[in-house]
Amino acid sequence: MKSNEQSLRHLMTLAQKGDKQAYGVLLEQAGIWLRRFFAQKIAPDAVDDLVQDTLISVHRKLSSYDPSRPFLPWLAAIARFRWVDKLRQTYKHEAKALDFDVAQEGHEDVVGAKISIDRLLTQLPEKQAEAIRLVKIHGHSIAETCQKTGQSESLVKVNIHRGLKKLATLIESE
Amino acid sequence: MTMEQTRKNNGFDIEALVDDLQPVKPLIGKRGLIYPLIIAAFAIFVNTSILGLRPDLIAGKPAEMFLIRAGLLLLLGLSSAHAVISMASPSVGKQNNGWKMAAAGAFLFPLSAIIVAMTGGTAPSASVMLNGVECLIMSVIGALATAIPIIYWLRKGAPTSLERVGWLTGIASGGLGAFAYNFHCTENSIIYIGFWYGLSVGISALIGRLVVPRLIRW
Repeated sequence: MKSNEQSLRHLMTLAQKGDKQAYGVLLEQAGIWLRRFFAQKIAPDAVDDLVQDTLISVHRKLSSYDPSRPFLPWLAAIARFRWVDKLRQTYKHEAKALDFDVAQEGHEDVVGAKISIDRLLTQLPEKQAEAIRLVKIHGHSIAETCQKTGQSESLVKVNIHRGLKKLATLIESE
Repeated sequence: MTMEQTRKNNGFDIEALVDDLQPVKPLIGKRGLIYPLIIAAFAIFVNTSILGLRPDLIAGKPAEMFLIRAGLLLLLGLSSAHAVISMASPSVGKQNNGWKMAAAGAFLFPLSAIIVAMTGGTAPSASVMLNGVECLIMSVIGALATAIPIIYWLRKGAPTSLERVGWLTGIASGGLGAFAYNFHCTENSIIYIGFWYGLSVGISALIGRLVVPRLIRW
């Protein structure tokens, strides 16, 4: 992770100066990193869209990166922002097993743990996190979630609404 | 996955982004603070040129209440502006909590005003209190002017908490706007300051919350 952080930071500094070759490599590496970052944190069929949305945000907000600071926490903040935004969208998809083929290496060290989406979810009250995981990430219906959690339909909806609202305020928290 | 597949995944072409790359100037927080401060200094100049400078300042003997008020408003404006400017460059784990202490300090004025009013303290006359409308208007105008460079900075940046940057932009610009007017304002009553200055910062914060998130583009 350390060398990855350093190389990405170097590439970003070059990209901000207009180095297209470095920028191409940076976007590729960031795309791979984001794919792992989002894995199992959203429906598998939404991962590609989310990675693309995040890369487009990176492109639009290139100047917001301060070269004196680490790169991955900056990328993670944008990724978390896009992730919460995606969860808020009322997309519907069939409930299906999450794609476990995506490797998780690189996200298990201390830095990765601090900026991960899991870390963000642990800061929510358990009922809110559970409702968001089941409905927005695993793709279960409200009715199925009621059965699994024992919460009423209105409570599931309220927990999702409140949870997403709180997530939006926690994006930059460790 | 091959490199070509990575670059053209689901019709998404990284090359298009690469071709579109232009050199950018990184947003460095300290630079973002300069412009609101310049506007605040200009607002002081306009306020004192049009309405006049406090007599105690002209005499070179500033009143204690003026110094406390000016210090708290400047602290509130600076710490909030620093926090909101910093939020334009997001980063997981970054703390921007200095503004909370300053806001707590600034809240002492309205709180003291309430306590003094409830415990039988003498309030300024109704006509003096009505003069506060000028305080409110000039402070909010100053706040709106100060908010412009902050909003411009935020639009170039990537704030991830839109509601919070809205509130903070309003509090920062409200603090600086009130600080600018405070060089003219001759009132030293705690009830007057708590009510009118509290109201002007509060209204600025509310305007910030309602308007700023709509102006941020991702």
